[in-house]
Amino acid sequence: MNVMQQVEAAVTQTAPKISAKAVDVFYGDTHAIKAVDVEIADKMVTAFIGPSGCGKSTFLRCLNRMNDTIDSARVTGRIDLDGEDIYAPRVDPVQLRAKVGMVFQKPNPFPKSIYDNVAYGPRIHGLARDKSDLDAIVEKSLRRAALWEEVKDRLTAPGTGLSGGQQQRLCIARAIATGPEVLLMDEPCSALDPIATAQVEQLIDELRSRFCVVIVTHSMAQASRVSQKTAFFHLGELVEFDDTDRIFTNPGDHRTESYITGRIG
Amino acid sequence: MEHQSHILHAFDRDLESIQANIMKMGGLVEAAIAQAATALETQDADLAQSVRAGDKAIDALEQQVNEEAARILALRQPIAGDLRTVLTVFRLSGSLERMGDYAKNIAKRTGVLMAMAPINGSAKSLRRMARQVELMLKDALDAYIQRDAGLAADVRTRDVEVDQMYTALFREYLTFMMEDPRNITACMHLHFIAKNIERMGDHVTTIAEEVIYLVDGAYPDDDREKGDQTTQGGANGG
Repeated sequence: MNVMQQVEAAVTQTAPKISAKAVDVFYGDTHAIKAVDVEIADKMVTAFIGPSGCGKSTFLRCLNRMNDTIDSARVTGRIDLDGEDIYAPRVDPVQLRAKVGMVFQKPNPFPKSIYDNVAYGPRIHGLARDKSDLDAIVEKSLRRAALWEEVKDRLTAPGTGLSGGQQQRLCIARAIATGPEVLLMDEPCSALDPIATAQVEQLIDELRSRFCVVIVTHSMAQASRVSQKTAFFHLGELVEFDDTDRIFTNPGDHRTESYITGRIG
Repeated sequence: MEHQSHILHAFDRDLESIQANIMKMGGLVEAAIAQAATALETQDADLAQSVRAGDKAIDALEQQVNEEAARILALRQPIAGDLRTVLTVFRLSGSLERMGDYAKNIAKRTGVLMAMAPINGSAKSLRRMARQVELMLKDALDAYIQRDAGLAADVRTRDVEVDQMYTALFREYLTFMMEDPRNITACMHLHFIAKNIERMGDHVTTIAEEVIYLVDGAYPDDDREKGDQTTQGGANGG
């Protein structure tokens, strides 16, 4: 075991941040997720991979109850965040989503200034006592999203005027401004060019020292570059969940091997 | 092993081509070992010369295989079983190229030995030893192409016999040299030839271990038995 593996093994031994047991998801009659059990560790990047329609995004959306917004969606089983059932009746989905932030495929900044994009969440959740407090949160979030140096002189400019990569980092800054513990990313780089992708990947690697990061990606190379754990979904099942280096050098299931080596779509 | 085709057929063609070249290299090396041993036994200068000339083709194939493998790494970014296939190809080509060099060196020494008084029975023992390595190589390459880790494990255990033959020859040459110092030059050459064959056996073992890695994704971790005792004190001063 090398040093990196030892560190990661030590992290794995702590209690999982997210624990899913026997999770099924139905969209009307469609059985989208079948009996998924998974434990996602804190301070680590976990990648969900699999062909289109395999259920990886659906499962990601269960983790902050985004599926609640779809009428036909039904989620059964249990998902715990720090040991608390997130589907319990007393849980407020809005509060949950402040704790479990999300970044989407296409950068979607609000049609507001850069400052207001980041300040929006802290404002509605009442996280800042006064203006200087809010300024501090905005600066800290933009710094953590590796965007501060590029935008500090034009915070009042519209967020939509930034480049694609900057917009995505702005969305990440917005997601982390509410002080979440988990960051869900649904193909965060698929609309970005290679340089912007590399910057976001570097950012993801930095974020894992503070957050539990779960990323859905279609890029096998991206999963292998940024994640420590990889989950392979196929036809709604979680086929294999293991250390990323193991998945990409010697996967245990032939379906995983077939998919990652480009033999099944 | 994965026998399903890639969605992108060109990737399959690349992997097949590189493995076909490894098998071609293996065939040339097998022939070089057999011919070098025969040339030594029958004192055939022409055959020895053709072994020396033939090494160029092995070297050229090694270069070609390595370039193709680098190209696959750069253009196809292989992972999992595909990655192991490419990594294995790199190591196999290296081992086979070294074995070709040893065969060439045997052929060179054959030329020198022909000008000297023959040492009784020496060529026959070397021939047997070379035959053993040649059969091990054949099985290792069969194990490679059939993805047969069991056969590879068997090849690996057989290297101990080559080591034992080498130890026996080492003692024999030492005795000859002590008996008559005029034998020293010839025995030194014969000893180097024996050592070359013993090293070839080690390379075949490496190839067998690569086959196990290719199939299982992990190298065998047990220590295998070693038959070469010439480095342990007391073996006639070895």
